[in-house]
This record gives sequence, structure tokens and C-alpha cells, in this order.
Amino acid sequence: MSDKEKFLEISELKKSFGTGEAKQDVLRGMNFTVKKGEFCVLLGPSGSGKSTLLNIIGGIDTPDSGYVAINGDKLEDMDEKALTMYRRKHLGYVFQMYNLIPNLNVKENIEVGAYLSDNPLDVEEVITTLGLQDHKYKYPNQLSGGQQQRVSIGRAVVKNPDILMCDEPTGALDYNTSKEILGLIEDCNTKYGNTIIMVTHNEAIKLMADHVIKLRDGIVRHNDINEKKIPASELEW
Amino acid sequence: MRNPLIKRIPKELASDWHKYLVIIIFMVVMIGLISGMYVGHDSMLEAVYSGRDELNLEDGSFELSGKASEELLADLSTGQMADVRQFFIDKGIEEADEEVAEAIEEELQNQVAQGIEDMVRAQCEAYGITDETMIQEQIDTAMDENYEEALAEARESDEFIEAVDEAYEEAHNTVIEKVDEKWDEIVEEYGLDDEDFEATPITIYEHFYRNESEDNNNDGTNDATLRIFPSNYTVDMASFNEGRAPETTAEIAIDRMHADNVGVGIGDTITVGGKQFEIVGLLSYVNYLTLHESNTDLMFDAFGFDVGMVTPEAFDSFSSRVHYSYAWFYETEPEDKIEAADLGNNVLKSLITQSLVYETDIDDFLPEYARQASNFAPNDIEHDTTGTSILCYILIAVIAFIFAVTISNTIEKEASVIGTLRASGYTKDELIIHYMTMPIIVTFLGAIIGNVVGYTAFRKLAIYLYYNSYSLPTCGITWSPIALVKTTIIPLLLMFFVNLIVIAKSLQLSPLKFLRHDLHKTKRSKARRIPGWSFLNRFRVRILFQNMPNYAILIFGVIFIELMLCFAFGLPDSLNHYADNAPGMMFSEYQYMLMGSKDDDGEFIVTDEPTAEAFSATNLMYPKDATKMFEGMGSGGDEGVTVYGITDDSRYISISNDIAEGEVYISSAFAKKFELSSGDVITLHEEYENKSYEFTIAGEVDYDGGIAVFMPNDNFNSIFEKKEGEFSGYFSENEITDIEEKYIATVITVEDITKVTNQLMHSMGGMMDTFRYALIVMAAALIYLLAKIIIERNENAISMVKILGFRNGEIAGLYMVPTAIVVVLFSVVSMFVGYYLMVWIFKVFMLQMDGWFKYYMSPSSLVLSVVYLLIGYAFVSVIDFFRIKRIPMDEALKNVD
Repeated sequence: MSDKEKFLEISELKKSFGTGEAKQDVLRGMNFTVKKGEFCVLLGPSGSGKSTLLNIIGGIDTPDSGYVAINGDKLEDMDEKALTMYRRKHLGYVFQMYNLIPNLNVKENIEVGAYLSDNPLDVEEVITTLGLQDHKYKYPNQLSGGQQQRVSIGRAVVKNPDILMCDEPTGALDYNTSKEILGLIEDCNTKYGNTIIMVTHNEAIKLMADHVIKLRDGIVRHNDINEKKIPASELEW
Repeated sequence: MRNPLIKRIPKELASDWHKYLVIIIFMVVMIGLISGMYVGHDSMLEAVYSGRDELNLEDGSFELSGKASEELLADLSTGQMADVRQFFIDKGIEEADEEVAEAIEEELQNQVAQGIEDMVRAQCEAYGITDETMIQEQIDTAMDENYEEALAEARESDEFIEAVDEAYEEAHNTVIEKVDEKWDEIVEEYGLDDEDFEATPITIYEHFYRNESEDNNNDGTNDATLRIFPSNYTVDMASFNEGRAPETTAEIAIDRMHADNVGVGIGDTITVGGKQFEIVGLLSYVNYLTLHESNTDLMFDAFGFDVGMVTPEAFDSFSSRVHYSYAWFYETEPEDKIEAADLGNNVLKSLITQSLVYETDIDDFLPEYARQASNFAPNDIEHDTTGTSILCYILIAVIAFIFAVTISNTIEKEASVIGTLRASGYTKDELIIHYMTMPIIVTFLGAIIGNVVGYTAFRKLAIYLYYNSYSLPTCGITWSPIALVKTTIIPLLLMFFVNLIVIAKSLQLSPLKFLRHDLHKTKRSKARRIPGWSFLNRFRVRILFQNMPNYAILIFGVIFIELMLCFAFGLPDSLNHYADNAPGMMFSEYQYMLMGSKDDDGEFIVTDEPTAEAFSATNLMYPKDATKMFEGMGSGGDEGVTVYGITDDSRYISISNDIAEGEVYISSAFAKKFELSSGDVITLHEEYENKSYEFTIAGEVDYDGGIAVFMPNDNFNSIFEKKEGEFSGYFSENEITDIEEKYIATVITVEDITKVTNQLMHSMGGMMDTFRYALIVMAAALIYLLAKIIIERNENAISMVKILGFRNGEIAGLYMVPTAIVVVLFSVVSMFVGYYLMVWIFKVFMLQMDGWFKYYMSPSSLVLSVVYLLIGYAFVSVIDFFRIKRIPMDEALKNVD
């Protein structure tokens, strides 16, 4: 397998919470790889371990055993500072809750992401791409949920990260807004070539992904390459 | 690219401007106050100390009974002691010569007359003349014709010359013998055997003055004693606070503080010694910074005593007695008080002997270091700032904690944002810096503005307070490095570290914990069980539990405010209490200090007053560093202790007659101030000599009027090498009228004790009332800040209960009642805490000062202090109610965090 194909490598990843009888194995030996530039969807019901997996890939949680490697660099070899730098240089995060800074406007919230990158995208261009040009001086509490999520995507994308981590980005949005947001993530993937790792429980979203990994009870049940992906605009659920 | 988070700071400032405004005002007031106190303090001391050089403050002065001759002044200037032996011999010989000459002349005349008479009688007998009348006629004739010739012949005879020489020699030898016989007494009386004596050359200036009566409202009654000096003196000069020096004989300049006290000013006319003068200047004499009329006065009297300046012509126009005072200056300045004491001693020896030789009397002698009028004020000012800075640091610490709690709450509120930022790659340090920026900026702003206000308005306030207490010169602004450290560096460091610790601790958590809002390092403790009260009461108790850290800070703040209220109420109360109890602080109604125990004839000074009782007294020092606990909090030097020698079975002071020589009783004030008790050993030392005495405490005398030690008078005389029966003065219930004024150094009555409190009450005037009202505002501001934190923290919950249908009144009841309970409950608790803290602080404060002053607060003041605090809280409650009312219902539904 080429380096490009093993851009993100997950190997024998295990993670449990609690001790004794209350011990709960969330990840029970997970293995898969993700190619660079791939749109990968981690699909599974609640409790399947997908958010925990995303957090471990993002370096904000640690596995009990196994490893995560990006471009061959294992996260377990990194100390806290190195992990922070890893997140700073390589990752962008989009959460279900938008987590915007309330007293910064749209543009400034996106600048918060740009500041972290050595090679950020043009803030204005990202604002335009996300359709936020009319709202760029508005504060988060003046925006709808969808608009706030766009800002949150902007904040993550503007860093021009190698990997864009999306944790249920449409979980709090209605159908139409969700499709808009998915479309934007798709556009970013196409336009900027970021690898997308998206956690969702929405089965319909798998149709727009290059790579679909289905999780259940802490293990990978299906690891499929989607040959017939469709644009987000055509998704139905 | 600049960190975009920085853009939050001005927005945060703008959106929460009222909170930051309150904090900044708080800091500005406190930092300004302490900066003003320090700058005012340093400026004033600088003015006082530089004034000593600029206004030529003497190194000492003496007063003679008459104007000194040029020769006496010249001899005094050399600093040499006069040759006392030769003086006595010369004087003895002079007297002896006169007596011898008189005796010889008388004898010679008698012998010549007898010779003539014998010769005439022999001749008459030879001629057979027996008539006595005829013989007497012959004798008279012979006398008239031959007496002078015979007398001259006899004088020229060798026999006579030899006899005269012998007589003189014998007389001279007798004089020398007598002087030598009495030499030991003379040596002792004039201290001529002092091995440490060194001739100390001095420069002497005339500094004559007159004491005149002052009638400051021209109603014909004498209001004060005015000590006037001519305006042309170049030593001990005055600085003019207002106006100018007198230029005509009808103009006068008087002490500024006295003028303030008695309500006269420039342009007013006062009657001095029966003559009217227009006040053209208000001044401060460099040697009268406090208006001590006499150096033995217990307290200065800026009402009954005044100093003034008139033209030399006006000075000469008075007919009252001139006080021939002379100021001296050393050729080389003494390095310290000990050296000054040695030099002063040398000058005294020289003065005593020279005045003896020149046959003039010394009326007064006072080296500058011992002069109360010029040293009392600077000594007092030097110890002035510690209390203020302690209060300031407490407040800065309160504000630092308010910030820390606010930020802690903000971090909690922004947990998701912080989690996202950390997940996105923001480092912990970047976030610590971000959250630290605001408190540092606010403190910095507070410190800068505070310093500006301190150097201007508050400096004026501090100087105003000093001017209200002492007759001080005008002063400029002195740059005070200590003020910068205490008002800017320390608050910034305090704010920096308190916030750094709290923020760094809060940001220790992993990004994931922030994202999950799981901000407690340890597992949440089990839910507290609450008794089966009504739902609303249980709700309130939950709010109390939830806001424990905030309420802890609130309690701290309430205690702080209450402490300051205890200060504002307690100080005037203590002064009044002191004044009310002053009679109880006197051993007797009258306490006479005599110049010595014997009169001019060498007899003990006695009185027929039946209640009079002799006592001895001297002053020693108690080293304050013996109380290690307070080391480093600013030492006010050693404590002055009055040592009393008491007559056996004294009616005024009850001590055992039989205590051993090394044992003493101490005053209750001494015991309380230094926590001493029976059996403890104290070492007292002379102030200006390397001599110390060790005493074991045998008991305590109930006396809060001063730091004192008591022992039987016999022990006193033995320990201090006095002669048997010597004493220093009399205690008496009634005025003693049969001791001559000249033997009395000073009389202490209740008025002298209350002078100090009257002066302090006058000095502080309405300041304490203003301070109390300011404290209501401070209490309100502090509670406002803390209550705001509690409400802000619960905004979502308040919004939610609004959605659920609770009315504003009910919500206010839920969220304000716990705060009200805490404030009211802890106002009462902190009344006691504040009171006892104040007692302790007063004690620390007193350790830096001389003497003892008990802190007292009346029960009504205690209650009022709580009422004042609650008035402050009542204002906040109204604001809080409107604040709760303004919280929108969609707050809880907005997903913007």
C-alpha cells in the first residue's frame, strides 16, 4: 500500500471506560486506513464508539492500546505539546455544537482558525465560499444554527488542515440546512483537497462519501469504498 | 498574524463596562489612596528634612538669664570647658584679697592711731599734764597733724610690707586649700571628670524671643501665648504656607495651624501684647512643627500656644522680658542621635562651666535631637503608612479573587469554546495569556489612573491631613519609589499570580473534558440531601451549594468592608473613650514634675499639701524587636518606658513594698501591648547611652495610660544611682500652692491627657464621616460585583425558569434570597470578626507607635456598622432585581456557546 493510501492508519485500537464490573469496552481492536484527500464517513449508532474514535484520531483522547498514525507518525509517540502542534498544523474540527466565540463576529471567528496555520486560506475567500459574505460582521447570536455551523466549518477549513474532523456536524440542524452544510464540506473536500473524517449516525450521508466505515460495539463491521458516490444535494432522508 | 482572540478584550471591556468600571474605580480609589498617602508622606518628610537645611534648623539652643557678652560667646564657640578651679581660686582670692586688704587697713589705722595716742600721753605725762580733756585735745591735734604722715610711713615700712605679704599669702593658701577641699564636690556638680568630654566647637546665633499674650478675636481676653521672633533671623527660619513676612511694625505672620484652629487668617487683625497687628502671613517655623510651648509638655497645644514673626522694630517695641535664647550649630554634623547626644553633652558641659565663669544663669538648654517641637511630627509621619497599605493589599487580594472567580466562571461558561480551541491547536499558554490579559489590563489601568490621582488629588488629601495635625512647611511633589512598588508593582504581581494560579489550574483539563463540560478533576460528590422543605426553599439551598466559591469570596468581601467600617466607627469611638476615661488614666489629679528634689539652699522641696506624695521618674527604652512576631512590619524604633519610683504604701499606685531590687511592677498597658506577665524578664535601656537594666516582672498595675514600670523609690534611687531620699515630683489630689514656680518643671493634669485626643478629633474632623459614607459605596460596589457573578453564572437557569413560567419576583426571590441570607448573616458574623481583627490590627499599629491606646467600639457603632453595610446591599438588591428582570427568555435556548 502506498503512503498516500496509508495517510491515516488505525491499528488495533482499543479503549474502555470505567473499571471492574462497570468497565465498558468502547473500542475493541479497530483497524482501518484512510487515503489522503478521501471523504471518509464513520457510521454507527449511539455507543458504537465513533466519537471516541474521532477524539483519539484528533489527539484529544488516548487509546488503551493500538495506535493512530498520520503519514506514518504515531500519535502515541507525541507528548502533550507535540499533540497540540499536531492538532494546530494538521487538523480542523467541526462539532455538532458550533462552539463559536460569542463576542467575536463571523470574520473574527474564522480568523481564530487562520491564526493557527502557517499556510491559511484567504479568510475572505472562505467567507465567500461558505456564503457568509452578508453576515461577516454579525455576532454568533445574530445567526441561525446553519449559519453558525458554516462559521464553524470556516474556522476549521481556513487553517487548510490535512484532515477535517467533523463530529455530527448536522446533528442539530434541519434537513435542508443539513444538506447545505454537507454540500459545503463536500466543496471544501473538492476545492482544498482536505481529508474528511465525518462521524454521523445518518445512514444517508454514506452515499456522498468515498469511504464508509460502519462501526458497531467498538469494532469495524464494514469497511467499504463507495464507487458510486452522489453529491450532497442529491441526498434524501 | 496577531492572535485574533485579542479582539475579544476591548469587546469584553465594552460589553461589561459597568463591571470593569466598578473594579477600576475600586482600584483607582485604593491605589490612589495608598499612592497619595505615600507620595504625600514622602513629600512631607522631604519638605521637613530639606527644610532643616534650607531654613537653618539649629543643632540646639540654650537660654541665658541675660544677654551674653561677646567674650562668653567667643569662649562658648570654642567648645572648651572653662577652668573652673582657677575660677573658684580667682574668685576666692579676689574675695580674700578684699577681706585681707580691709583687715590690714583697719589694723594699720588702729595701730597708727594707737601709736600717736600713746606718744601724746607719754609726752603729757612727762609734762605733768593730767587733765584728760587737755590730753584728749593734744591727741586730736597730734592726730590731725601726724596721722596721715604716720600712716604713710607705716605703710612703707619693711615690717608692714612683709606682714601684708604674709597675710595675703596665707589668705591665698587658705582659698586654694578650701577649693581643693571642696574640689570633689565641684567636679561632681559640674561633671568635670567626664573622660568622654571633647571640646565641640560651635557657631552661635542670637535667637531671642518674647512671649506675648494673643487675643485673636480682640475681645480683651487672652486666648493664647504667642512666642514672637524678629523677622531678620537667619537661623530657625520659617516657611510661608500663605502670605508673606511682615514688613511694617503693624504686621505679623503667625503659625498656620494655630490660625486654622482658632479661625483667623490673612487680613485679620489680632491683638498681641496689647498692640494690634494685621496677619500678613501664615507660616511654619522649622523648629516649631508642633506647637510645644515647653519641651516638657506632654502634648503640643495648637490652640493655646502660637509662634509668630514681627519686624525687628516691632519686636523691640514690646516691653515684656526678652528671652535670651541662642541657637548653636556644630562644625561637623553628628552622624546619628547617639553622636548628637554626645556632642550635646559636650556643649552642655562647656555651657555650664562658661556660664559659671561668666556668672550668668542658664534658663534652658535643648539639643535639637531632643526637641519635641521639631521631631514629634516627622517621627509620627514616618510611621504612618503601614495601615493603609495593609488595607490596600487586602482589597487588591479581594479584587484579584473576584477576577479569578469571574474568569473561572467564564472558563466554565466557555468550556466548549475552550475545548474547540484546544482541539484546534491553541496551546494552553495561549489561552492562559488570553484569560490573564483582562485582569492585568484592568489592574494596570487602575494602577496608572490610581497613581495619577494619587500624585494629585489624594496626595493633597494626605497633605491636608498632615496639615490638619501639624504645623508643617509647604511641600512639593516628591517621586516615591516605594509608592510605585506598593501601588503598582505589588498589585500587578498579586493580580498576576492569583489569576495565573486560578486560570492555569482551570486550564489543566484536557480539551475533551472542556468539550464535555466535565470541568471537575474529581468525580462529583454525592448529591447533598436536603430536608423536606418547600420546593422553593430547597431550590434556594441548591443555589447556595452551587455557588459556594462565589459566596466564600462574598463573605471575604463583607468581612473586609466590615473591618473598614470598624475602623471608621472605632477610631472616633476610641478617641472619645480615651477622653472619657482620661481621669482614670491619671495616678492623681495633679502630677508635678520638679526641676530637682532640692531647692537653692540644698533642702528637699516639701509641701504642706496633705495628699501630696513624692515619686521618682525617669525614661528608659524597651526594645520592640523583642516581639519577633511583628518584625518586618515597620519598626517604630524602641518603646519609651516611664520608670516610676513609688513611696512605700503609696495611696496612688499599689505595689508591694517588699519586692527585691531587680523586681518591678508593670502597667497593664505595657503588659497588653507586649504580652508580658509576671515572671517575665524585661531589659530596658537608656536611649542615648549603652546602659541597660534587667528587671523581673513581679506584678501588674492596672494603668492603661502609658507604658510604665513601677518600683519602690528606694530601689529606684539605688538602681539609678541617686542619693537617698531624692525624688522627681509629687502626685497630688489637690493643686500644690506652696512650691515655688521655678522648681516646677511641669504639671500634668487631665487636660494634658485629653489634649492629644482633642487634637486628633480636630485633625480628623469630618473625615471619618466621609470615610463611612465612602464605605457604604464600597460595600455596595463589592457586593454588586460578587452578586453579579452569581447571577451571571445562573443566567441560563434564570432564563429557563422564566420559560417555565416563573415570575420575575419569584425568580428574584430564588436567586436573591440566598445572597441576602449570606450577606445579612455574615454581616453580623463579620461585625465580630471585623471588631477582633481591628483590635489586632490596632495592636500591630500601636507597636509601631509609642504609648498605648486601646481600641474601643461602642455597641451602637457595632450595630450601625452592620446597618451601613446592609444599606449598601439594599442598593445592590434593587440593581440585581432589574438585572434578573432583563435576562431574556431565549438565553437558555440560544446555542451560541
